[in-house]
Parts: sequence; C-alpha cells; structure tokens
Amino acid sequence: MLTAPQKDPTPRLAPAPTPKTASLADTANSFGLHDTLQYGPRSFAAEVTATRTSGLKDRLDNWDATQDNLRLVMERNVYGMHMPMRRLMERKLVSHNPHMPALRQSNVHLDVLMGRDETLQPADFMMPASEFTQPMDIHSDMEKKLRM
Amino acid sequence: MEAISVDMNRLKAGEVNLGTSIMAVQFKDGVVIGADSRTTTGSYIANRVTDKLTHIHDRIYCCRSGSAADTQAIADVVHQHLQMYTQMVGGAPSVHVAANVFQDLCYTNKDNLSAGIIVAGWDKEVGPSVYNIPLGGGLFRQPWAIGGSGSTYVYGYCDATYQEGWGREETVNFVKNTLSLAMSRDGSSGGVIRMCIITEEGVERAFVPGNELPKFWEGNEVLGAPLKTKEVSDAVPMPVDA
Repeated sequence: MLTAPQKDPTPRLAPAPTPKTASLADTANSFGLHDTLQYGPRSFAAEVTATRTSGLKDRLDNWDATQDNLRLVMERNVYGMHMPMRRLMERKLVSHNPHMPALRQSNVHLDVLMGRDETLQPADFMMPASEFTQPMDIHSDMEKKLRM
Repeated sequence: MEAISVDMNRLKAGEVNLGTSIMAVQFKDGVVIGADSRTTTGSYIANRVTDKLTHIHDRIYCCRSGSAADTQAIADVVHQHLQMYTQMVGGAPSVHVAANVFQDLCYTNKDNLSAGIIVAGWDKEVGPSVYNIPLGGGLFRQPWAIGGSGSTYVYGYCDATYQEGWGREETVNFVKNTLSLAMSRDGSSGGVIRMCIITEEGVERAFVPGNELPKFWEGNEVLGAPLKTKEVSDAVPMPVDA
C-alpha cells in the first residue's frame, strides 16, 4: 500500500501535533449545510475533530509517513530537487496493477522500493485468509477500481 | 465515550536524560572534545560509563547533551545524511556542513526536541573548528564551547583560563580540569572523562578514570567542628595598685 507522501519540505523527525479543527465539511449535505437527518442536531463538540483526544494516536498514525518524508527531504538536500520526484514516480509506476482485485494482493516491487521487503508485520503471518474472504463481487470491485 | 488520553509531556518526564558536562576546544592542529559519562533517569544513574562523543564522520564528532533519545535520533539522521553526501560529493564533508545539517534538524524540530549539541572536527578547508548548537537550534562557531547542565558551573573558570595559541597538551589539560570541576559540582555529571583528540592524522581517544580526576578544593565542613578553646595557662596577673 502506498503511504501518502506528506507535503512537508522540512525534515521533521517525528509527526508534528495536529491542530484542533472544527469543520462543517464532514457532515455537509448537498446544500452545503449540516445534515441533521443523517448526523443529528448540530453541536460544536461533535464538530471538533474527534481524534484530538490523544497526541499519541496522531503520532503513531503519522509515524511511517513522517519517516518516509524525512528520507525524501534528506535526498532532496543531498542529490537535488529531482530525487524525491523520481522516487515517487517509481512508486507510482510500480503500483499500477491491471489485474482484478483478487483475494491476495502483494506487490514485491513496491515493498522493495518502500524499504519493507525484509520486514514482517503481524498482519503478514497472523491473519488466516479464510476468515476474511469477502463475497466475490468482481464486477463491482472492477467498476470501483477503474473509475479511480 | 471518553477516549483514553495520554499526556505526551508526562511520557517525556521520566525519560533517560543526558544531564551532562560536554566541551570542545580548538587548538592549532585540531580539536579536543570531552564529556563526562553519566546518564540519569530522574535520580537513578542509568549508565555511569556513557560515551557521549558520537562519531559523525571520519574527522567530525559531536558531543550530546539533553534527552538521550532525541540526541541519538538526530545523530543517526546526520550520520546517514553525511554518508550520502560523501558519496555524492566524492570527499569528506566539512565540519561547517555537518553543523548546518544538525542545526537544520534541531531548529525544524525545536518543539519536539530537547537537545544541545556541540559539533567539532577537522577538515581540509578550514582546519579545526567547533560549532555550538544550543537548545533553540541556533548555530554558533566558537574557539571553545561548553554545554550541558554542568557547564553553568565552569563558565567563569573557562573564561579566566582559556588562552589562544595553545598546543595539544595544554588544551587536553584545560578540558580535563574544566570537566573535573563541572563534574564535582553538578549532580547530573560524573563518572569518567572521555576525550577525543581529532587532528588531520586521525582520532585519538583518551580516558580518565574516576579515581584519577584532577582534584581541587574538596570542601570543608566548618559548622559542627569542636570549638577551639583559647589557652590561658600563660596568663600573667596584672599589677594593681592596692
């Protein structure tokens, strides 16, 4: 899976604490107003981003993206502006998957480029695939994928 | 539902701390860097023989003070950066480049870090140089620099003692004496003195064990000593008119 590259040109060592935000965008309906039917009456407490209860959660969620960004910034400083562009281009090229969204998806080339070809995550060996089979609706899966 | 919240500052409170005395002094042919060897977690000494002099490149070392984790992370990133730089440029980086990489990291991350670093070394362009990067992430080139919690006790000694034009022996003695004084006054500094002498020829490590530290005034308990009674046996009676 391609982690989203952060648009941060500075060499952050650890994720910066995310600021508290309040936004109508999450609950807006097609008129641009708060959708009371779906989300209930409008309240400020609900609008402030719920994830701000713990700095630790944000830090852990953004950890991999931040470390990757640090590497890209370092390469930009040493080799030049072209280097991070090339790396991101390589990752994008390699992620192109013309196959159907089948059960097992593994992209060794992307793992190598992301530097995780020699690491094991618990998900790799602790999830018996049989428990997680979705009903095979290949047509809707392909529709979703091709309209991306 | 109330989510469990973790106070990030509380996590940092008990972490391993390099309360410390570090210094670097430049002399004619190179630099001498030195540090004490104590790492504390609160009042427990986590490591009494720490090596705070970290190799960054062949002729560039840094002294670390502040949070042990933060300074190790920064030093690792700079080390990697300079390795890539060496491959790209085809030669050793100058101390100025290394110091600027440190400064870039320390300043950008100043909200997250507590790290005071002294970068020192020898390079072909300039010869020996010492750069001080205190807590805020500023960069200062100086002929000598001291840092860490123990440094506050020895600013006066250093100002009074330092002379320009010293050779290697005098500089090593200066570093040894300064660090001894700092270690004897500062609770978070102690152990042994580790030094590196960096010249064009190479890097030489020196070690002064705790029982061979230079000794200065050790203190004297005055209160509680027995009162000195004055001898009156040789008193002569005064002639008095009857």
